[in-house]
Amino acid sequence: MNATKDIIVGIDLGTTNSLVAWSGPAGPEVIDDGSGPMLPSVVAYDEAGSVTRVGRDARAHAIEQPRTTVYSIKRLMGVGFAELGDEIARLPYAVERLTTQDGRDQPVVRVGQGKVTPQEVSAVILAALRDRASRHFGRPVTKAVITVPAYFDDAQRAATRDAGAIAGLEVVRIINEPTAAALAYGLDRRDHATVAVYDLGGGTFDVTILKLTGDVFEVLSTAGDTHLGGDDFDRAIMDLAAREIAEQYQLAIDSPATRQALRTFAENVKIALSKQENATLEIDLGAGRVYRRVLTVGEFEGMIAPDVERTLASCRTALRDARLQAEDIDQVVMVGGSTRVPYVRRRVGELFGRSPYTALDPDQVVALGAAIQASVLAGERRDLLLLDVTPLSLGIETMGGAMGKLIMKNTKVPCQATETFTTFQDGQTAVKINVLQGERELARDCRTLGEFNLTGIPPMPAGMPKVDVTFLIDQNGILSVSAREQRSGTVAAIQIVPAHGLTADEVRRMTEESIAHARDDMQAHRLIDLRNQVAFDTHKAEQMLSRYGALIDAPLRERIRDGLQALRTFAEQTTDNDELAKRLQAFDEMTVPLAEVGMSAGLRAALDTGARR
Amino acid sequence: MSSESCTVPEKCLKCSAELTSPVVCEGCHTLYPLPQRVDYFALLGLPRTYALDEAAVEERYLAVSRHIHPDYFGGASGEMQQLSIRLSAELNEAIKILRHPVLRAGYLLELCGGASAADDRTVPPNVLSETLMLREEIEEAQSGGDADELRRLRDSVDRRRAELIAQIADLAGKLPGASSADKTSLRHSINAVKYYDNMLDLLWNA
Repeated sequence: MNATKDIIVGIDLGTTNSLVAWSGPAGPEVIDDGSGPMLPSVVAYDEAGSVTRVGRDARAHAIEQPRTTVYSIKRLMGVGFAELGDEIARLPYAVERLTTQDGRDQPVVRVGQGKVTPQEVSAVILAALRDRASRHFGRPVTKAVITVPAYFDDAQRAATRDAGAIAGLEVVRIINEPTAAALAYGLDRRDHATVAVYDLGGGTFDVTILKLTGDVFEVLSTAGDTHLGGDDFDRAIMDLAAREIAEQYQLAIDSPATRQALRTFAENVKIALSKQENATLEIDLGAGRVYRRVLTVGEFEGMIAPDVERTLASCRTALRDARLQAEDIDQVVMVGGSTRVPYVRRRVGELFGRSPYTALDPDQVVALGAAIQASVLAGERRDLLLLDVTPLSLGIETMGGAMGKLIMKNTKVPCQATETFTTFQDGQTAVKINVLQGERELARDCRTLGEFNLTGIPPMPAGMPKVDVTFLIDQNGILSVSAREQRSGTVAAIQIVPAHGLTADEVRRMTEESIAHARDDMQAHRLIDLRNQVAFDTHKAEQMLSRYGALIDAPLRERIRDGLQALRTFAEQTTDNDELAKRLQAFDEMTVPLAEVGMSAGLRAALDTGARR
Repeated sequence: MSSESCTVPEKCLKCSAELTSPVVCEGCHTLYPLPQRVDYFALLGLPRTYALDEAAVEERYLAVSRHIHPDYFGGASGEMQQLSIRLSAELNEAIKILRHPVLRAGYLLELCGGASAADDRTVPPNVLSETLMLREEIEEAQSGGDADELRRLRDSVDRRRAELIAQIADLAGKLPGASSADKTSLRHSINAVKYYDNMLDLLWNA
């Protein structure tokens, strides 16, 4: 590794777990700090709304502090509060609507007295991964490739990019999770094949069909559901238990702590049922009441069948969009922890008429692929070519509320489309454009990305101005818009009022706050280190004084004795690191004669002992 | 790079290698802004003709992508990154048109002075009645849940579409020297394909 070159890490920011990887001389590897390769995507806050724990620690305390422990935040990324629907009722923490002046629909999580956006929660996870990587390399890591579900829309991708910025990371690329997995899968093989990647994570599902030709990875189509994953399997078990507890004991599972406990039980039962024919769910309801229930694999499969069927429908859509039949697929690669469920493997195998490939570590392969892509972006290799697509059609709302498609789904990115707009009134200088993403015919059934306000059109009679508006989707799947009036050549201005998400100013402020926090944390660490040093040095001086104090002159002895007490008192009271460091150094200098005397006395004693022998 | 030049350098200004595509040197990866009068054939470094070897088209797409894809400009200036994004968007549009037998014919027809779909929406006389009948048959098979009949219909639409495309290839092969009657009939055949594509969409979603 070139020491002067910036390291770019690959990050899999998952619903349940997150990982950071890099590409070293020996190939891509996940960075493990000793606590395991996976960082649970869980952040705990205190009542004041400050972060207290991240990852494993936070997850371990989820049951004690259900209302201030935030998990599955990925489900809230880039989504409007109004769109969340019954998702909110299922979460033990409180989600509210952020009030903004421009009427954006942005959810916030209430943690004690504080409010945090999903972007900020994700930023805490990203910062923990960044720190893990920085410690691993012994120097700061500031650049990352972050993966997102292929089916994420523009707003969800932008939210992920903003989370990276808040965490102090330059997000050099956003890459689709199944595509990253395909990179890690195909890199060693270099074969020519048509591959389907079936990626069922904690909260999202994607299927991507790619053509691999040695070192070219060309995505043919992608489909999915950004609100479907292993979380839903847990919920099916939770719902069953809650229903039966209500029937048998007339008890409602409504306290956040009980819900959280039930969630953990449900997850364990799900995992157990991947290996055995049945599992027991046992919940102590207090007052001698115990809910005990044996769940068979058959029952569990019946419960998750509708969800699995939805993933298969997406697979059929992806096949059709790629103009392929199931038998044209040479390999089905399974990715994501939820593909460990045998029923999922069986149904996918039936659809494609072949047993799926499960030899990759379904948890790590996405992060490894991101690390490979990072090495391309760092300029370390150019042998790989990744050609990806946009998962959703992009369009504008036309007269009468229809969706007018400008860019079709599964178009290779980067891509662009130009549409000409005109005015309907004499002298009109502004036009509003509602930009949409989705496949439905009506604008109201698609997602609104934002309202684009085209201004600065030269005043002309109605219908005369011709403003070319170019919609450009970059390699990350993120949209940018530019406009130009044909006749005058003036570049019309475009103000974007996003329907969701954060403004550039908000991201900047949050970034500054998080950097300030990081600085506070560093200051606090340094203070602790300094106080420890003070305790150690004063203790040592005390020892020396009692042993060799008689060997130095009295005024110095007094000065050291007084200085010692003064330094201890100051260290306890101050938070001024620099002043404390200065006084510690002065004290150390003052005690030098004592140390010298002590050393030679000690030496003499040792010589004496030696002579006596 | 600030002003978009209209002249196409024949050799790379940096390494003097011959330019196959006007937007990139495939020797040293230097990018050039898109000249205004460059068509999609030239962008890929292909001859302006209908009868292209499919494999050669794909090969040229990958060859140019290998040099202009934004992933290779991660460490470059913001301006170069933007240029690589815009050129890649252009290239992706070019390959979409050129790898498609019908879109390619329509594109070449317009380059050769023929009517665009917006100028002339006429379809050959038998198409409307034929697709109308087909639509009825599809709806009947759909409501009856007759999978065999649907498959038979799909095969027959596929066949009809293939015939049209053969006809299009024949006419487009005469471009740019085609007679104006040939150009008109090419336009009409191209317009007709959309009707059969719609039928196929219906059948696939059945």
